[in-house]
Amino acid sequence: MTDVALLASDQLPGPAPGSWSRGRPYFVYALQRLAQAVVVIILAYALSFVLITVLPGNAIATVLGNPETGLSPAQVKNVESYYGVTKPVVVQLWLALTRFAQGQLGVSLVTHQTVTSLIAGALPYTLKLAGTALLISLILAAVIAYGSQYLPGKWARSVLRSAPSLFLSVPNFIIGLLLIREFSFQLHTFDVLSPDSPVGTFFAALALAIPICAPLAEVLIANLDRESGQEYVLVARSRGLTQAKLFARHLVKPSMLPAVTMAALIVGELMGGAIITEEVFGRNGIGSVMYQAVSQQDTPVLQGVVALAAVVFVVVNLLADLVAPLLDPRVRLTGGARREVAAA
Amino acid sequence: MSVAIAPQPARRLSAAARAVFTSVPPSVLLSFVVVAIVLLWALFPGLFTSYSAVLGNTATKFEGPSAQHWFGTDDLGRDEFARVVHGAGPSVGTALVAVGIGLFAGGLIGLLAGFFGGWVDAVLGRLVDTLLAIPYFLLAVVIVVGLGFDTINAAIATGISSVAIFARLMRAEVLKVRHSVFVESSYLQGGSRGYVLFRHVLPNAYRSVLALSVLQLGQAIIVIAALAFLGYGSPPPASDWGELVSAGQSYATAPWLVYCPAIVIVLTVLSINRISRWLRKTN
Repeated sequence: MTDVALLASDQLPGPAPGSWSRGRPYFVYALQRLAQAVVVIILAYALSFVLITVLPGNAIATVLGNPETGLSPAQVKNVESYYGVTKPVVVQLWLALTRFAQGQLGVSLVTHQTVTSLIAGALPYTLKLAGTALLISLILAAVIAYGSQYLPGKWARSVLRSAPSLFLSVPNFIIGLLLIREFSFQLHTFDVLSPDSPVGTFFAALALAIPICAPLAEVLIANLDRESGQEYVLVARSRGLTQAKLFARHLVKPSMLPAVTMAALIVGELMGGAIITEEVFGRNGIGSVMYQAVSQQDTPVLQGVVALAAVVFVVVNLLADLVAPLLDPRVRLTGGARREVAAA
Repeated sequence: MSVAIAPQPARRLSAAARAVFTSVPPSVLLSFVVVAIVLLWALFPGLFTSYSAVLGNTATKFEGPSAQHWFGTDDLGRDEFARVVHGAGPSVGTALVAVGIGLFAGGLIGLLAGFFGGWVDAVLGRLVDTLLAIPYFLLAVVIVVGLGFDTINAAIATGISSVAIFARLMRAEVLKVRHSVFVESSYLQGGSRGYVLFRHVLPNAYRSVLALSVLQLGQAIIVIAALAFLGYGSPPPASDWGELVSAGQSYATAPWLVYCPAIVIVLTVLSINRISRWLRKTN
């Protein structure tokens, strides 16, 4: 995740070969990008299947062999033939992939629910947590970036500038534990550990948001530093624009482009972080589903969670890549080229 | 990259050494000291504490931090400082393993993709995309589930998860150098591919890859601690830092059992990140 800051600075030489470049028809680019996304989702599912199934210890056989699952021998046979446990790995992979293509993720070995229904049941909780966390991290990043430019006093500004690297150094489970300790044990005032109360959601989301806002704030600060040296900013200021207006109208907008391309990475971080945060705060959600699946060796569920994460990540990435060229004002200069394509 | 025109490796090294001794900010020096102490803990834990990390004296359980027990004692009367010191090996040493795996595998993939281009780049590019599509931490969990719960497996999982990140940076660096004028001229003068690779491409890429490696070391410590926190590391009585935080969490009356290992983790990662930032700036 933190490589974002590294890449955002000045590491990338021009657009990567896979990205949109001027003179290339946009819709061809979009189609290629879409095909690429589908391929990556399928590959990710196959990879997670291989990692979970082929690595030592065939979990499905182990779980089914355990008499405590409460399955009758006939049911065990049924599950075994569903997953093709006795067949070669390539056949199992093919079975899993064809089902995945049809939207089937299999059946839990422990609760015997379909994986899709398990995930669908847990998703709203995680969406609530992740959505709140995203909002908080955006606000935090904006506040830090604004403060780093305009706060009176060099000292205060440099403190804010070092905030992102501090945030990056604190694992989110530690932030969660500290929040619980300080606000729940010490002050006794807030319902930090109650998953349904807004306060509980707020604190869990805060723990999730703090490490996530750091790279975002870093990119924003770097962009603001660059943009505020531009001449148009000087001109705008000479026209008598207030700092807040200048910030909102002229500085945030050019910084949107890298922020959008970062959105995809942030989503990945949100999902990874939600696993730990849900465990720390004792909340329901995708993370707790995964945590239980791991402790019970419920591999179809684990794989379903991975598939969900990969799909979300790839789709958000795809959207970001499709939107990014349109946000770039330089694209308008080549509008003629695009119109030609549309006419052809 | 103004030094890109093939300086002698020896001169480059001595210049770097001079830079280290003349213009290192105090905060970076302090970071180096912190990292050095932690590395010494990992290598020679016995030099820093006379207490055992495994055996405790139940008569002295749940004692707060004192001159005798710097970080207090835990539920079995074990010295928490001794447990943190002995945990440095599995927490930081394994992070080095993780970065080594990521650096080697990722560096190789990025190098091949950037250097050869064409279909090699296309195939390796999809592989990297696939690895990136699964969130870093989730991928580490999946791999550690496959390998079995153990600290070294957690390190391997963390390393594999970071392969894509290294590959991407290495590829970008190689591409940056490959199309530069001095590489073209080197080819024109009859330089072979291997010569160009070792003479121009690698020396120019190493600085940013080094900065990323240091940064990833900090991230690896966090991820390995998080895996240990969830119980995916070595079972007790191992004292990985993440496990210490997780164990301390159960005792509301003994906050030092959470704070002490937590502060050690944060200070270590903070120092490593500071060093990485400094490496990047002096690039």
